Amino acid sequence: MQGLTRYKLLFLLPGLLILLGIILFPLIFTIRVSFSGWDAIRPGLDWIGGTNYGRLFVDGRFWQSLSRLGAIALTSVMFEYLFGFGLALLVWHQVRFRRITRVLFLIPMMTTPVVMAVIWRTIFHESLGPANDIAGMLGLGTIPWLTHSVWATVVVILVDVWQWTPFMFLLLLAGLLSLPKEPFLAAAIDGAGPIRTFFNVTFPAMAPISVGALIIRLIEASKIMETVYVITSGGPGTSTETSSYYIFIRGLRDFQIGYAAALSVTYLVIMIVLLTIIAKILTNTLVKSGV
Amino acid sequence: MAKIELKGVGHAYNSINGEPNYALHPLDLTWKDGGTYALLGPSGCGKSTMLNIVSGILTPSKGQILVDGRDVTQLGITKRNIAQVFQFPVVYPAKTVYENLAFPLRCAGMERSKIDKRVIEVAELLNLDGILQSRARRLTPDLKQLISLGRGLVRDDVAVILMDEPLTVIDPQLKFSLRRKLRDISARHGHTLVYVTHDQNEAMTLAEQVVVMDNGRVVQMGTPQELFEDPMHEHVGYFIGSPSMNFLNGKVTGGVVSVMDLPVGSLKQAGIADGEGIKVGIRPEFVHIQKSETKASCFAKVVDVQDLGNNAIVSVKLVDETNIKLKLRENAPSIGSTCFIGFEPPMVRYFVDGVAVQ
Repeated sequence: MQGLTRYKLLFLLPGLLILLGIILFPLIFTIRVSFSGWDAIRPGLDWIGGTNYGRLFVDGRFWQSLSRLGAIALTSVMFEYLFGFGLALLVWHQVRFRRITRVLFLIPMMTTPVVMAVIWRTIFHESLGPANDIAGMLGLGTIPWLTHSVWATVVVILVDVWQWTPFMFLLLLAGLLSLPKEPFLAAAIDGAGPIRTFFNVTFPAMAPISVGALIIRLIEASKIMETVYVITSGGPGTSTETSSYYIFIRGLRDFQIGYAAALSVTYLVIMIVLLTIIAKILTNTLVKSGV
Repeated sequence: MAKIELKGVGHAYNSINGEPNYALHPLDLTWKDGGTYALLGPSGCGKSTMLNIVSGILTPSKGQILVDGRDVTQLGITKRNIAQVFQFPVVYPAKTVYENLAFPLRCAGMERSKIDKRVIEVAELLNLDGILQSRARRLTPDLKQLISLGRGLVRDDVAVILMDEPLTVIDPQLKFSLRRKLRDISARHGHTLVYVTHDQNEAMTLAEQVVVMDNGRVVQMGTPQELFEDPMHEHVGYFIGSPSMNFLNGKVTGGVVSVMDLPVGSLKQAGIADGEGIKVGIRPEFVHIQKSETKASCFAKVVDVQDLGNNAIVSVKLVDETNIKLKLRENAPSIGSTCFIGFEPPMVRYFVDGVAVQ
């Protein structure tokens, strides 16, 4: 029996070592760094106790970036879900040109984030971009897309929605295609119209996959960085600055490595707690109650 | 409830060399008002295609479907006034049992007080009245199937209740009670019921008339007894009965049929020439072991005995190596022993090219 245990451990060891190398070591290292005063002037792993965490608690800019991130992530994921579901429902029963349309829908997801962000920045350029040409034609005047805090947030959300709706579309379409036919036939036999069928059959049946898709996207959206970096650089002022971008500024612009590590660890803990709560709430409301 | 007529109804999903490749060959069939019918056949025989044509899920490539004389061939599922119970229980999981039963009536825009009355009536009929406020998702498969059925029964405009192998996912014990409940309900309310199954026991116990299908054709329609005693086709002999009918190669000489030179009966029907190949069919229930050799018995060796408790299935081998099965209630011989077997002459059936002859 002992021999068997030894063999088991032996076989598990490579996996455990890799896990240790790629997940645990960076994490433990970051935690250690967060207790150091490592910066551009005094690099190295000294020990300053909880100073960084004390500083973080009174750093209003970090907490603002976190709440802003929450608003941006929730809004964009909600729109991505609505549009993705809508598109998936539209092409669900499509017979002709199904391959080509599905590939077309996926293009935004395949584009390099930085390239597409540059293009969007050009589109929303206040004087040169076509967005304002169209706004002018519609009689809306010149809109300060990237220089007004609200509009800049709208643009960041819009670009994220544009880029990630296809992902939602793909997941939800796969979900729709895997649904059994019988409940839909039964609803038709019961005399249910399309709206009743959607709310009584399609939506409840899609609840588990919806929760999965929403959680995956929320995790991804909470890391939003490139779009903000290229389009607004967190501006105007700090009005579109998200947590990752703020951590990037502290760590790689100001070289306050120790402080950035403390920010990262705090951010990670908050995210784990928040996403767990959100996942629980979504599961309870969408899946268990069956809507 | 209504009379259903299929006139020249056939369906082909594709064609071969321009010719339709029929999954269901064009056929005429009438299901009378209030009758209970079972479509019985192996997988892929066209029974589900026929059911889907009746329910409107599928539009047939040929023919007409008449419900009480009204042509409904081109009508969609919603307008057919049918109720269908599928193989897997279909309920609205988040709704309560009450809401599930009320759903078709709500869709039809019925008044709340009338809905209440109908739902309670149907719930009482199906013994679901104690769980009306339970969520459907928490129920067992047999209760879910009853809800599916209830959603059909709750409407008073239902022309026919179609059931597509509804007991497949039910436990054997519950299957038995649910089958009895289905039969009671259909008998009490006079619904026209069409039941698809590949289980002969289910078909025989539920239906007044069983439609046996094979390769997209109806081979015989009749009462369970007719199918058992007078199969019109070899397939019916083979498919109905457990174990299936024994088939032996026979020879016709002057109207007399013999097996291994042993006369087993004579043909009433003329036109079957001497020496023509004929199959002799006899149910295992009508083959007996004889105490001693007679003119009408043949020598056999027992090769297998399956004791099923109240009866035994005995396999014997004749001199020409043909295997025959017997169903004996008592005194099963032991394996390896020899005996003489005889057939009950009135129960011997004859087949030429798969079709029964008299």
